[in-house]
Amino acid sequence: MMNEELVVDSADAPEVAEGEPIIRIDDLSFSYDLGSTDTLKNISLDLRAGEVTAFIGPSGCGKSTLLRCLNRMNDLVETAKVTSGRIEILGQDIHDSQVSPMELRKHVGMVFQKYNPFPKSIFENVAYGLRIQGVKNRGVLAQAVEESLKRAALWDEVKDRLDSSALGLSGGQQQRLCIARTIAVKPQIVLMDEPCSALDPIATVKIEELIAELRRDFTIVIVTHNMQQATRVSDRTAFFYLGELVEFDETSVIFGNPTQRQTEEYVSGRFG
Amino acid sequence: MKSHILKDYEDALVELREGLLEMGTLVENALNTGLKGFFGSDIDSCFEVIDGDEQIDLWEKKIDELGMGILLKFQPMARDLREVLSAINISRSLERMGDHAVTVAKRARRVIKADGERDVVLLEPLAAECRKIVRHSLTAVSDLSEEKSHETIEMDRAVDVCHKAATKQVTKLIGERPDSSKMLLNLVFIARSLERIGDLAVNIAEDVVFVATAEDIRH
Repeated sequence: MMNEELVVDSADAPEVAEGEPIIRIDDLSFSYDLGSTDTLKNISLDLRAGEVTAFIGPSGCGKSTLLRCLNRMNDLVETAKVTSGRIEILGQDIHDSQVSPMELRKHVGMVFQKYNPFPKSIFENVAYGLRIQGVKNRGVLAQAVEESLKRAALWDEVKDRLDSSALGLSGGQQQRLCIARTIAVKPQIVLMDEPCSALDPIATVKIEELIAELRRDFTIVIVTHNMQQATRVSDRTAFFYLGELVEFDETSVIFGNPTQRQTEEYVSGRFG
Repeated sequence: MKSHILKDYEDALVELREGLLEMGTLVENALNTGLKGFFGSDIDSCFEVIDGDEQIDLWEKKIDELGMGILLKFQPMARDLREVLSAINISRSLERMGDHAVTVAKRARRVIKADGERDVVLLEPLAAECRKIVRHSLTAVSDLSEEKSHETIEMDRAVDVCHKAATKQVTKLIGERPDSSKMLLNLVFIARSLERIGDLAVNIAEDVVFVATAEDIRH
């Protein structure tokens, strides 16, 4: 289930013009325990195509929960439930009975906090999603793998050892491999859940540089505890506290002159 | 606003604020002492201002160092970031005010040494406005007050009016008493420095508005 973001090609997805809402969250409330406590409370938020949006907030504020709602990862939790509102991605209600999570994850890829390559070769990791789509031609696969590894800024480091185990790569390389694996199937949206929290500063900078490159072709949503990272990589930032969206604006406003006192206190380190 | 969770950060911000106010007090004292020397023909006061300028210069460097330290160590955000950037700007303005106080003191020395009528009274209204605007700008800094900053900016009109009036009167006297022109020229330079001090007080007020509201009202 964890790997379903790689399942199929998404070339058939509708186009959303850059700057237009690609993800629309409307009055969303969400509970992990069948509605007795809402972890997310009445969240309304439009995320624009071609932008990097950062979710920030103290632990337990709901930012990762919201991220995981966007590709229905929370469906894996038996007692989890959307208690109100809706999420529309590419113009489609993602909880519509016609939409399967697998279908959704064609369009919405995910990179996790702890890099999680499969115990396979570097090549097979990247080719995995394409193989599941039914691509068998070795030439087509090789070209897609090379392109994805290049876009993930990993090609030069691994091109001579594509058949080696992915587990032999460094942490930063493994995370970039996971990004290559995600983008190989060309989703429109890439979700990143603290993608650098397990990496050293240099590997972190490489991922941030990669995000700057990828923003040209993907809409990126990133959860991060590192506020300097949010300022460096994102166009807009949403600040969450106790399951509520406190403020959402351009990143320069959130970190330079936020409107809400809670945001100001959080970004300047006065609570959290 | 609440204190920062990290006590070292809060302490560093407090040290920066207190340093800036201490520097402001030194500059205000330099101006008042220079004017005391000028109006009171007190040459010791003039030397006190000239000798004391080094201390003001050191404070400018100290504020830079404190500000850089905070940027480097704590990566401030939002209002904290504006406060650090503005403190560095304000210390720059204060240092230049100090230089103008030195100009007042140096020119005052020459006026004191000159023979005949000294006409210092012509600059009294300007000096009074200058003292007021400097005091008000420093209060705006200590209170981080947007209101006092705007009042400071308004007060510069009076400084400019007095400056024009004083310059006009002194220029007229130069025509009437060419023998005193050398001494009178010193009054023109002192008047110009006082007018510039008013402008610098405005710059300081603009920086305070930036801290308080994030609005850049310069120019």
